[in-house]
Amino acid sequence: MKRLFLPVLLTAILASPVAARLYAQEASGGAAAESAEAVDSDEQAADAQEPTAGSEESPPTAIKEFEQQLDDVAGQLVGYIASVFFYEIVGHDEFSQEVDGAATDVETIRGLVQQAEEAGLNPQEINYTLTLPAGVVSDEEAARLQTEFGEEFTTGRTRTFTVSLAETADSQFVAVKPGVPVVVLWLVLGAIFFTLRMGFINIRGFKHAISVTAGRYDNPDDAGEVNHFQALTAALSATVGLGNIAGVAIAVMTGGPGATFWMIVAGLLGMSSKFAECTLGQRYREVRPDGRIMGGAMFYLSRGLKEMGLGPLGAGLGVLFAVLCVLASFGGGCAFQVNQSLNAVQENWPLLADNRWLYGVVMAAFVGVVIIGGIRRIAATAEKIVPFMCGVYVLACLWILVNNAGAIPAAIQTIVTEAFTPQAGYGALIGVLVMGFRRAAFSNEAGVGSAAIAHSAAKTEYPVREGIVALLEPFIDTVVVCTMTALVIVITGAYNNPDYAHFVADDNGAGLTSRAMQEQISWFPYVLSVAVVLFAYSTMISWSYYGERCWAYLFGDRSSMVYRILFLVFVFLGAVVSATNVLALSDLLILGMAFPNILGVALLSGKVKRELNEYWAKYRAGELETKAS
Amino acid sequence: MSWPTPKTVVVPLDFSDESERAFKTAIDVAGDASSVRAVHVLFPLDAVSPGVAWGEITDESREQAVRQEFDKLQQRLGQSGVPFDVRVGNPGLEITDFASEINADLIVVASHGYHGFKRMVLGSVAERVIRHAACDVLVLRRTDAD
Repeated sequence: MKRLFLPVLLTAILASPVAARLYAQEASGGAAAESAEAVDSDEQAADAQEPTAGSEESPPTAIKEFEQQLDDVAGQLVGYIASVFFYEIVGHDEFSQEVDGAATDVETIRGLVQQAEEAGLNPQEINYTLTLPAGVVSDEEAARLQTEFGEEFTTGRTRTFTVSLAETADSQFVAVKPGVPVVVLWLVLGAIFFTLRMGFINIRGFKHAISVTAGRYDNPDDAGEVNHFQALTAALSATVGLGNIAGVAIAVMTGGPGATFWMIVAGLLGMSSKFAECTLGQRYREVRPDGRIMGGAMFYLSRGLKEMGLGPLGAGLGVLFAVLCVLASFGGGCAFQVNQSLNAVQENWPLLADNRWLYGVVMAAFVGVVIIGGIRRIAATAEKIVPFMCGVYVLACLWILVNNAGAIPAAIQTIVTEAFTPQAGYGALIGVLVMGFRRAAFSNEAGVGSAAIAHSAAKTEYPVREGIVALLEPFIDTVVVCTMTALVIVITGAYNNPDYAHFVADDNGAGLTSRAMQEQISWFPYVLSVAVVLFAYSTMISWSYYGERCWAYLFGDRSSMVYRILFLVFVFLGAVVSATNVLALSDLLILGMAFPNILGVALLSGKVKRELNEYWAKYRAGELETKAS
Repeated sequence: MSWPTPKTVVVPLDFSDESERAFKTAIDVAGDASSVRAVHVLFPLDAVSPGVAWGEITDESREQAVRQEFDKLQQRLGQSGVPFDVRVGNPGLEITDFASEINADLIVVASHGYHGFKRMVLGSVAERVIRHAACDVLVLRRTDAD
């Protein structure tokens, strides 16, 4: 009981300023800070019932101001990091034009759009940005123009028209064709490289992977903590999360059905990346005297490259990886999960929609009880339930598909044709491909290096063997679970349904999936809510492990408590920060880990290849010992 | 003036080379293997790693593994009969608590353990032990320090 004291105290500390402000508002009946100060209490009570400040839908509360401030900070962070990771190295094209004065007239803009077209930019692919002088144009006017110009000049949901204000005298019009961000290119090239270098291990190793996971080669005396199946489940509980449900929905919404095809391709190629990094994770792990295993990308980067004579590079990459992993665990492993699971849940429990912070506090308490309180049972149960929930989810999706069996061939055709020639409004091939690859990478973490931390704990004599088991992860995560979600969304036509446009605008993927499935199985959204919360919870718990290992690598085992407290703070923040910025930040950090990881694994790929060849030869010759049962 | 031979010497072990050296030194200082009390401190288990979540790693399994390591260590050094204790908690504090419990006269500790820096910076366990010990402490410098 003593250990529960701390998490309860922490959540109380986090919740108290929020609760205090709420209470103060209830008592005084006031809404925004600007109104109601000197007003009579009766009038205040009446005011509190009606919307104030004209154009807003509900009275702005202090909570919402706080949320807005957090969101702005997140947005700025996203901006800085995105400019580095998502630097568009290929395919970027731009047209810009300065205009005297304030270009607020539709015809002027039309002329500019035409000029952009003449300059060679395809209107189907461009995003527009118009910067107007702040002195001349007000915020409301800018917002109005953004909506007007957006409707006039952009087709579909993925092309945007942004109007912003700056301290200038003149206006600036920019038309941009997005290219391939460097991080996605890195991941794609890495996955292709590993697939080729390892001789399509993702195909030829598949059958063996299944028999290893089933336990045919298990030996309890091998050094390690858990057997192959347990290690795979642990890693899967981290990767199967909201990315599979919400992320896929977002991909199909913004990239069209074609994104599904590229997602599957990314999943298949990613299997080889996973193989390589988990083999290395096993090879360079540390077995502690108490039987515990410490392994992961930071170890193979620092030690492996040192063996190759690239010591300083390895040490640098190891540290970089660890830093990014810690940050990623706060973003994608934590805040994103909370955010998206809340979006799914609030569809069924509107109370939460108005009190998002409440979900944040509850989640923080549940996570705190495990990671600080040390209550193993909860974490163990959550992790074991994941395979079960996966099964339920896949079955539900299959049921929907079977019920709509007639529409399947058409859906598949749509997916394949749109993969290469996207419909109007979804951008060009590049955009769709990038979207598919991004979501796959975020979901299955292939090439990112995090799974190596979990897989290094497996008991095995041969590092390659665990790498082969790891092949199954992107397959299960992306090719099975993600595809199920995508097929449901395509077949039910949810991505195209104008009623669901608000999900797109809010980047609320989980809400879309929930609604789409509700059409087919009316009670399923409740099951989905439970599944979503469980997936989110298990992903958070598992990523807290990854993050903590990296933190310990940087700062020593004894400083873990600091990390855990930070993690809880981010659990809370995930509930209150808006979806767009959380999504973007999570993306960036997880994909960013791929930079040091793929570089290191590529350099070390020769060792992996050699070990693979040795192992495979033994396997083929029947020299590997199997369990005698 | 000669230094009185300590009756009970505590030596914390993390099975690094440095702590092995501390072990040998402790036996030399005490003169007799049975006067030396070796102790290993395990960090408190987390709840989220695969091994713990699946119940494969527990404090008992860790203690067993560590005892085996200690037996191997003794064999390597041709020693036997040194009592070995295992504790769970914060190393610096557990070591000093243990030493107080058994009224030790001396603690022999290496200045750095597994993850030391090769600089003139004291490891945090050694530093804690010095700070909290109720008895004398002998700190052995890294042999490869500058």
